[in-house]
Amino acid sequence: MDTTEKMKTENLNAWFGPKQALKEITLSIKANVVTAIIGPSGCGKSTFIRTLNRMHELVPEARISGQVLLDGQNIYADEVDPVQIRRRVGMVFQKPNPFPTMSIYDNVAAGLKLAGAKKGQALDEIVQKSLQQATLWDEVKDDLRKPGTSISGGQQQRLCIARALAVNPEVILMDEPCSALDPIATAKIETLIRQLAENYTVVIVTHNMQQAARVSDFTAFFYLGKLIEYGETNALFENPKSELTEKYITGKFG
Amino acid sequence: MSRLLDTGLEQLTVMVYKMGEIAEKTVGISLNGFMHGKDTTQEVKGLSEVLLALTVEIEEKAFALIAKYQPVASDLRIINSYMKIAYDFERYGRYAWDISLTHKRFSKLENCALAWGPMKQLMKKVTLMVSKSTKALKNLDAEVAKSLAEDENKVDELFFKYLDHLAESPTQTKCALCNLLVARFLERIADHTTYVGEAIIYIATGKKAALR
Repeated sequence: MDTTEKMKTENLNAWFGPKQALKEITLSIKANVVTAIIGPSGCGKSTFIRTLNRMHELVPEARISGQVLLDGQNIYADEVDPVQIRRRVGMVFQKPNPFPTMSIYDNVAAGLKLAGAKKGQALDEIVQKSLQQATLWDEVKDDLRKPGTSISGGQQQRLCIARALAVNPEVILMDEPCSALDPIATAKIETLIRQLAENYTVVIVTHNMQQAARVSDFTAFFYLGKLIEYGETNALFENPKSELTEKYITGKFG
Repeated sequence: MSRLLDTGLEQLTVMVYKMGEIAEKTVGISLNGFMHGKDTTQEVKGLSEVLLALTVEIEEKAFALIAKYQPVASDLRIINSYMKIAYDFERYGRYAWDISLTHKRFSKLENCALAWGPMKQLMKKVTLMVSKSTKALKNLDAEVAKSLAEDENKVDELFFKYLDHLAESPTQTKCALCNLLVARFLERIADHTTYVGEAIIYIATGKKAALR
């Protein structure tokens, strides 16, 4: 397991107006592994991953203090372009959200076109590779011109993953990517997450304890905006150090 | 608010405690028969079969709880440990039956247990270990569970001392053969008490201990 550090937060605080959502989070995110963020609703886990690619600041009155490092560089430094950060740190959301007016092909190519890519064989190859990496190619290769919304929910989520992969990110953030999917589609996404970790650093927010246990190598438990416990997933789910973690993962509160 | 899983865990706990009581009783009856030249094979066999049936029942119940609730942390440690403990209690019963069968095979050798003094010590020690293991389980007492390691060393010492004693004896008697087998079964029961101890420590502390 490659355990070099890809990202790190240092004394990270986040606010929505006067309300503080994250408190002094210092957490190392290791490269090429899956890190799961768990915790009850309102604990700050979605806010946390949104600070990792500067999406948090898109909310009016939202702000942060502290540092978020990507390969050792503070992504909130003045000279850093947030668009570039979002390209290096992609995001997949809870509900599949393909662009409704675009074809399957154009959905995958959208990010590249925005960055100036022209139609042609090179673009075709990236679209195909991205769909293959998202394990969707075989299912849609003959329907690339059909609307992105014409496929099933699970396929749409994999399309969104292909769209995120097309711009060649280094880190993929996933915010409850399976919560709107049935068990079969969920199983496919979970398998895909494990495959993605071979080439990417993956951070997944999930409400599903068993999903965190199945797909992640490391798990962080958040509660009331604080990081309560972080460790190897197997150890955390077998013998958590914190009583709060124990109570949450065994369903005694939350 | 109690969880649905709690009802299942409580049922499993009751079953494992019941097994502990039956296992302790089975070993007691068998050793008492051996001490006093009494054939206990039927009674001990019956109890041993009850223990076997309970082991299967506990295993099925534990599997159902895992499948239904995907337990983690202390819940998972308890279920995993109960399955191991159930097997060990079943072994107490099976070796108790072996002791009764051996005694019967050697034609009710009254006072055979007294043919070699330390044999009584061995029986007393193992009986105490069985009792300790069931009590430690009920109290989830990791310290008592740990103390089984020392007891087990004493049992081994007595067992090997007996082997040496036999090897040096000029003649082999029926009692010596009978005692050798019984001592071996007692030594095995003692081993299983330490496995129960390891499982208790795992439930209580989350740490995997090796008591042997």
